[in-house]
Amino acid sequence: MNLSIPFAGLTLQTPLILLSGCVGFGEEYTRIEGFSNQDVGAVILKGTTLEPRMGNTPNRVYETPSGMLNAIGLQNPGTPYVIEHILPRLPHHETQFWANVNGSSIEEYAEVARRFDDSPVTAMEINISCPNVKEGGVHFGNDPVMSAKVVAAMRAVTKKPLITKISPNNAQVVDIVQACAEAGSDAFSVINTLVGMAVDIEKRQPILGNISGGLSGPAIKPVALWKIHQIREYTAKHQLPILGQGGICNGHDAIEFAITGADAIGLGTGLFYDPLLCKKILTDLEDYMQRHQFDAYQNMVGSLSC
Amino acid sequence: MSNNIHVEDAKLLAISHHEGDQFIMRLHAPVIAAQAKAGQFVHIQVSPERAMRRPISIMFCDPEKGRLDILIKKIGQGTALLAKRQQGESLSLLGPIGKPFDLLDTSKRYILIGGGVGIPPMLAVAQHLKASARMVCFAGSEVPFPFKIRPSTVILPGIPSTAMMGLDVLENWKVPSRLASQQEYFGCFNGFVTELADQYLSALGTTEDCVLLACGPEVMLHAVAKLGQKWQLPTQLSLEAHMACGIGGCAGCVVKTVENGKEYYRRVCVDGPVFDAQVLAAYAG
Repeated sequence: MNLSIPFAGLTLQTPLILLSGCVGFGEEYTRIEGFSNQDVGAVILKGTTLEPRMGNTPNRVYETPSGMLNAIGLQNPGTPYVIEHILPRLPHHETQFWANVNGSSIEEYAEVARRFDDSPVTAMEINISCPNVKEGGVHFGNDPVMSAKVVAAMRAVTKKPLITKISPNNAQVVDIVQACAEAGSDAFSVINTLVGMAVDIEKRQPILGNISGGLSGPAIKPVALWKIHQIREYTAKHQLPILGQGGICNGHDAIEFAITGADAIGLGTGLFYDPLLCKKILTDLEDYMQRHQFDAYQNMVGSLSC
Repeated sequence: MSNNIHVEDAKLLAISHHEGDQFIMRLHAPVIAAQAKAGQFVHIQVSPERAMRRPISIMFCDPEKGRLDILIKKIGQGTALLAKRQQGESLSLLGPIGKPFDLLDTSKRYILIGGGVGIPPMLAVAQHLKASARMVCFAGSEVPFPFKIRPSTVILPGIPSTAMMGLDVLENWKVPSRLASQQEYFGCFNGFVTELADQYLSALGTTEDCVLLACGPEVMLHAVAKLGQKWQLPTQLSLEAHMACGIGGCAGCVVKTVENGKEYYRRVCVDGPVFDAQVLAAYAG
């Protein structure tokens, strides 16, 4: 069965995409016996800023009911290092690698994009929804005008597909998607994490060094499905694919996202449950498609009837 | 490739419960057991419903029988779920993970210092070095030791004669050991494990060839780091952290280091868990 999909002008070998922040700079999961880059359509590299960033004070992760909080704070070695030292050693023949672009200013987003434009990454995800940094991130992503400005500034410096990562932490998700699409976004990642916190009752202190963090995992799956459903009418009309994500842990979850309108399936926290998740999901997708007589993944996308 | 990390469904061969909410699991995990090195850990799935596995040090390893022993203390929801597991059940392990202790130089005298559930990596070191290098192990606990203990037959310099108890398994391997606790357990040194190590070092003719290896609570690791500074000894500390992926993908488990005057956050899972105390911002002198 052919699981390859068209996505924002690219052809992905499978609909599965490993999400930024969960899979380092593309090499880490290949240390696991049985893991194959060839099972995924793309690997999105850890969020990258122009200059190196140390990230947040620990604790950075904490388990919560049906999920976890993280506040990594975009620890990364900076764009020049990623381009010079990391990208050349990645196996680009096995899968595609996408950048995840961040910045504290519109200019920084544009400069990072300009540099990645001349690199082997085949697409760029625009992270205007990171909840764990003091500047940029979700502060841009919650405002349609600012979001559009970031997209436009990146659009001006690259022809590579741009995928805008949407925050669930606001009520005007359709407005933001529309503003970003009009500014040149080719696709949307839906959703980033929800902002949350946890408390150490003995110390009476927040558990995370950053106080708040991003909630991921199955706890946010219903929110992700709803956000996809909310924007799907607009994105389908304008042929803008959605990279669905939020607590996908098995084939059933992936199929739910596909039916709701996810043109591609993002895996993040699910990999922490099961690092060999990809093969299992692909098998389940094939079984389902056979049972329901879908000859291509994209025919299943958005097949929801309300 | 020997550096590969495996996902292995391990069979729980035995689980024994001990005082102080401690329990020891014996697992059949032949693939991981064949590769594990002293200081490495396994990342254990607590339940298929939980996002974060729990990183647990490997204690004893029997590659021929494919067995691993681990010691866990019930401190939260995840470890409480593990404590309920029954013999014959299966546990998903990810491992072996992490940078092990550097034990290459067998001309050294290794001083192993373990506290509580930090004792197991010291036992892994002892198992690895028992035939090849000199060593001594000091173990401290404020709850009863979850291991068989007995009077040591090896005389150690500087150790008060009242502190005569050692770990049975180490005695069997002819590795000298002594125990410390503030709970006035019979035959144990009444104080900190690091005081015991300090007294031993003070009585040694020369300490030039000594290396400190330690795992335990943060307060103990600070005392070990100070001991290393006092005696100017290479000191390797094994750390723990809240950990998500366990393979270096998420940078959730970091510790601050200072290397060549620059600060970094290094991942405890794959850059550690064993670090040179000199690079750790919280422990360096």
